[in-house]
Amino acid sequence: MIDLKFDGVSKKYSIRANGDSPKRWYGRRSAKRPGQMWALRNVSFQVNEGEALGIVGHNGAGKTTILKILSGITTPTAGEITIRGRLVALVEVSSGFHPELTGAENIYLHGAMLGMRRSEIRRKLDSIIEFSGVGRYIEVPVKRYSSGMFVRLGFAIAAHLDPDILLLDEVLAVGDAAFQAKCLERIAELRKDGRTMVFISHDLAAVYRLCDRALLLSHGCILSDGPPRQVIDEYQQMTFAGQDASVDESDTRTPAKSTGISFFAPESPEGIRTGYPLVARLAYRALENIPDAVFRVSIYWPSGYLCAQLTTESLSGGLQLEPGTGVIEFQCPTLPVVPGLYRIDLAIESKGLEIDVQQRCATLRVDPGKIAYGDFLIENTWKITQTIAKPQL
Amino acid sequence: MPLRMSTTPEAAVPSQMTARSAGAPTHPTTWETASGLARAPGRPVKVIHPPAFSIATIFTGLRTLVHYSDLLYTLSLFRLNVRYKQSALGWTWAALQPLALMGIYTIIFTRVTTVATGGVPYPVFVFSALLPWIFFSGTISSAVTGLVLYPNLLTKMYFPREIIPLSYLVASLADFCIASLILGGLMVYYKVSLTWHLLYAIPIVVIMAAFAAAIALFFSAVQVRFRDVGLAMPFLLQVWMFTVPVVYSLQSIPLRFRGLYLLDPVAGLIEGFRQVVIHGTAPDFQNLALSGSVAFMSLPLAYAFFKSSEATMADLI
Repeated sequence: MIDLKFDGVSKKYSIRANGDSPKRWYGRRSAKRPGQMWALRNVSFQVNEGEALGIVGHNGAGKTTILKILSGITTPTAGEITIRGRLVALVEVSSGFHPELTGAENIYLHGAMLGMRRSEIRRKLDSIIEFSGVGRYIEVPVKRYSSGMFVRLGFAIAAHLDPDILLLDEVLAVGDAAFQAKCLERIAELRKDGRTMVFISHDLAAVYRLCDRALLLSHGCILSDGPPRQVIDEYQQMTFAGQDASVDESDTRTPAKSTGISFFAPESPEGIRTGYPLVARLAYRALENIPDAVFRVSIYWPSGYLCAQLTTESLSGGLQLEPGTGVIEFQCPTLPVVPGLYRIDLAIESKGLEIDVQQRCATLRVDPGKIAYGDFLIENTWKITQTIAKPQL
Repeated sequence: MPLRMSTTPEAAVPSQMTARSAGAPTHPTTWETASGLARAPGRPVKVIHPPAFSIATIFTGLRTLVHYSDLLYTLSLFRLNVRYKQSALGWTWAALQPLALMGIYTIIFTRVTTVATGGVPYPVFVFSALLPWIFFSGTISSAVTGLVLYPNLLTKMYFPREIIPLSYLVASLADFCIASLILGGLMVYYKVSLTWHLLYAIPIVVIMAAFAAAIALFFSAVQVRFRDVGLAMPFLLQVWMFTVPVVYSLQSIPLRFRGLYLLDPVAGLIEGFRQVVIHGTAPDFQNLALSGSVAFMSLPLAYAFFKSSEATMADLI
């Protein structure tokens, strides 16, 4: 069964000279004619029941417009959308709160805005309060709440809805780690229950992990539609192709610069895999003599924590760089990190001071190889010793 | 059909959530919604089209409105709560405003100049008209500014937008009821007797509410695009009050202008309200029919206009 169908949907925003708000939705993009811009152009796609679709693309590609049209906040200029079932959007979960009302009153108000009946809210009230962790502050006006409590209460309400189709827009980007874990837990639960999901995010790792299929949007058009891996690859190529062009070769302010990073898996024909050798080649350019130089390739988890680092740092001191270009090749006998998407930072230091930092300049995608659970693969061997119990006579 | 959560083998392993809910026996599962059984087998199918101004939007709009009727109730209730929160006098404000106006007009129209009241003491005379007028003008002024007061509601969430202006109507109606008690007190004090004709006040208030809803829907929709409406509204309402028989009676209007004067449904309604409440006579049914037809013809038109502008409200606000 098809749960969601976009059929030739276009959306035009008219930009008035004095209107400031529509600008939020399309960013700084050139329109064909001043005064109007197309946020979506003839977009068609379908989502099947139980499928999780990820939508990726740059700011202003039209992702949020799709979400706004789906949730009924705005309407398309052309085309037709069919939605089968109850659709719930988890977008800025606490935007319906009234600061003067207490937490409990806001649960009723916000729940009603999300389409819940009063009887339904009354039934779920205790469960919502318990989930939010707001506890005894539930009778306090929400203007006295911390921002964390605010968001938790909002999510607690939304999480108690019973959607057939769930829309998520960067909800995972807010709240603390515990809250994010709670969000993910709830989403996984809904997925297991066969609910349809549309997930809009810049977090490619989350799209990769949560979705069955992905769409790549650019300037209001669908560029590709397929398995998340393939679509993410395409998106990254698009992104980094754009970034490479912006590297200023004539930059003379930094005496040394990383100009590129590439990863190879010499023994595995298809991509980089857990437990197999990895080769990383870092290209650099130096404009002058750099004493005591250290190169660092930092590998970050999607959450932003440092996972590991490849470095030339050693106790015997740094490298001496001559003006010109060069390549550092790091050889790793086994790659111990588990499958996923990692962000890469490059840095060059001289005498302990950073002289060049390239943040999030590349992504390392690790595919499943040797079996590993947790965060790392621990290389090990094993043997078994069995003592056979003597059969009793 | 997806399996019910609790019947899957995974559910046998207590997750963090089910473990927590074990402490609350009244809620056997924290996610009661997570059960597949709670979902109706036939799901509603919704089709979204580009917006168009048509009478059909009234019917689809009303269907959605019925679905969200609990929101209208909740929002109206909270309008009243919020309005008097953190104010020392609280609900008394609903009565204070008309009382203060009554005092001012009584001084002006009994000391400075006089108007014919048909033998009724002026305070009761003016209060009985201020009551429906404040209901009418209060609805419009709060509804017009109310829709754009929280832009986040319009750009981040969906619910039928007419609920915002309509909730102000309900809140004003509640204020009207509170102030009615004061009118009752005044009538006892000035020994104005009640008659059964008082019951005509109910259809009069209903027609008035319908017309207030029509005006509020129309102007609040325009306000989203042109904030001029909100700026002009207090002034317009001020002028409007003096073009309807609030501080004076309909009898003060020369007969040959009266037909034109009564084209404004509010004029007929306010005069009718005063007649049935303090004069104890039947209202002028011709006026009532005219006001009623204007109100009930403008309401669907205003609603259709509102629904067709609703489509782009989030883009324009």
